[in-house]
This record gives sequence, structure tokens and C-alpha cells, in this order.
Amino acid sequence: MDEMANENPGKVYLSSAEWDEIGKYLVGNSQRYRENIIIPKSVGPVKIKTYEEKMIEAGFESCIFKSVMSCVLGYGLGAAIGLFSASVNPTITGADAKQQTAREVLRDMKNTTVGYAKNFAMIGAVFAGVECAIESYRGKSDWKNGTYAGAVTGGVIGLRAGIKAGMIGAAGFAAFSTVIDYYMRH
Amino acid sequence: MAAGGLPQLDVAKMQLVQELEIEMMSDMYNRMTASCHRKCIPPKYLDADLGKGESVCLDRCIAKYLDVHERIGKKLTQLSVQDEDFVKKLQGEQQKS
Repeated sequence: MDEMANENPGKVYLSSAEWDEIGKYLVGNSQRYRENIIIPKSVGPVKIKTYEEKMIEAGFESCIFKSVMSCVLGYGLGAAIGLFSASVNPTITGADAKQQTAREVLRDMKNTTVGYAKNFAMIGAVFAGVECAIESYRGKSDWKNGTYAGAVTGGVIGLRAGIKAGMIGAAGFAAFSTVIDYYMRH
Repeated sequence: MAAGGLPQLDVAKMQLVQELEIEMMSDMYNRMTASCHRKCIPPKYLDADLGKGESVCLDRCIAKYLDVHERIGKKLTQLSVQDEDFVKKLQGEQQKS
């Protein structure tokens, strides 16, 4: 081994026993990967996110946050639709029309608006939460998640009025959700 | 027998070992990304960002890959240690006889 090293001074020669030890060291992986990771730089600089960054991103992408956001947005949208519906479809008509004061009209509008807003908020929260949960479970992002989530949401809403209404509601909402998804994706 | 210890090597040999380690880790990284990309991300792209399902799938894929890598490494070192012991025992018996 020493004669070969003297003949070729640039080369490194290792004995079999040394190779064994090196092999065991390389494959034995006694270290944790995240601190010692080596990422080859192929397209642009290599950035490894810190734990805090990852936690924040995970929070913004979590199912609970999505559900809460959808609930709030649903409340807003429902309030807008309820306000519009109260103006074109008032509940105080007919015999009470003579005693209509501004306060009563405003109260009627408020009740209708809040009713619609709560409905939409609940629909939004349930749909977003269920869709996120199904997507996390399946591990795939395709159109079926919306359909399944729509079925569950429609079922939950329709179940208040009985089993058959629940099934019809589930089918209807699933179809509606699929159509909306298709429209948004194409 | 501890698998983490290196024998005492001089500078040139240590450099060789470090180069080998870098090559091994970047090869593992490339294979891992290629494999998980093939499994988790369908070829038709509708969006530039990763969806929730895709990122969940990637998390699981990477965790499994590293877990398998670790277990196979431990099993390999265990087998090679058994081999070494066996060879040393044979050599010992040969020298005695």
C-alpha cells in the first residue's frame, strides 16, 4: 500500500478495513437530516425555511383557518344577499301595512339579513372544513373533493327536515358544487 | 458496535470521505424529489401553487422515504457487523489451527 502511494502521490488508497468503516459510517446515519441536509443547487439559490416560517404557513393552510375564513366570508355574503332579499321580499305586507313604521321595517330587514347571513356562514364553514379534511385524508387535489364535501354539507342541512330531504339535499349540493368547481377550473 | 465512528484518517482520505458523503446525500435528495414528484403531483397542472392534498401527500412521501432509508441503513450496518464478526472468528480459528 505504501509503495503504491509513493508511486502515485496524487491518489488516495484505502484498505478494505477502512472501506468497511467508511461504508458503515455513511450508511449508518447517526445524524438527523434537517440540520445536515445537502440540497444540490440546480435552479437558483437554495432556501430552507425556518421552523417559525413553516409553522406560520401551516397555520394559514390549516383546515380550521380555512373553515373560519369561509365562515366569515359566508356571513358577509349572506348579509348582502339577505339585505337585497329583504328589500325585494319584505315580510311585513297586507293587513299590517298601515302600521308600518321605519323602525319596524328596519327590524324586519335586520332579521332577514341576519338569518340569511347565519345560514350562509354555516354552509361555508361546513363545506370548507369538510373539503379540507377530505383532501388531507385522500392526499390528492382533484375535483372529487368538492363533490364529496358538497354531499356532506347538503346532507347536514337537509337532515333537519328528515332523511329523504337530507339525501336529496346531499345530491343537489354535490352536483352544484361539482358544477361550480368545473366552472372555476376551466 | 457504534456505526457513527470513523477510523483515524489523514487529510486526503478525510476529504475523500467528505466528498463521498456529499455525493451520497445529493443523490438521495434527487431520487427522493423525483420519486415523490412522480407519486404525488399529477401531470396536469391547473395551478402554480401546491394544493392542500398535494402538500399533505408530499409530507407523507418524504417522511416515509427517510424512514425507509434509515431502517435499511440500520439493517445494512447490522448485517455488515455480523459479517465482520464472522470473518474475524474464522480468521481467529485459522490462526489457532
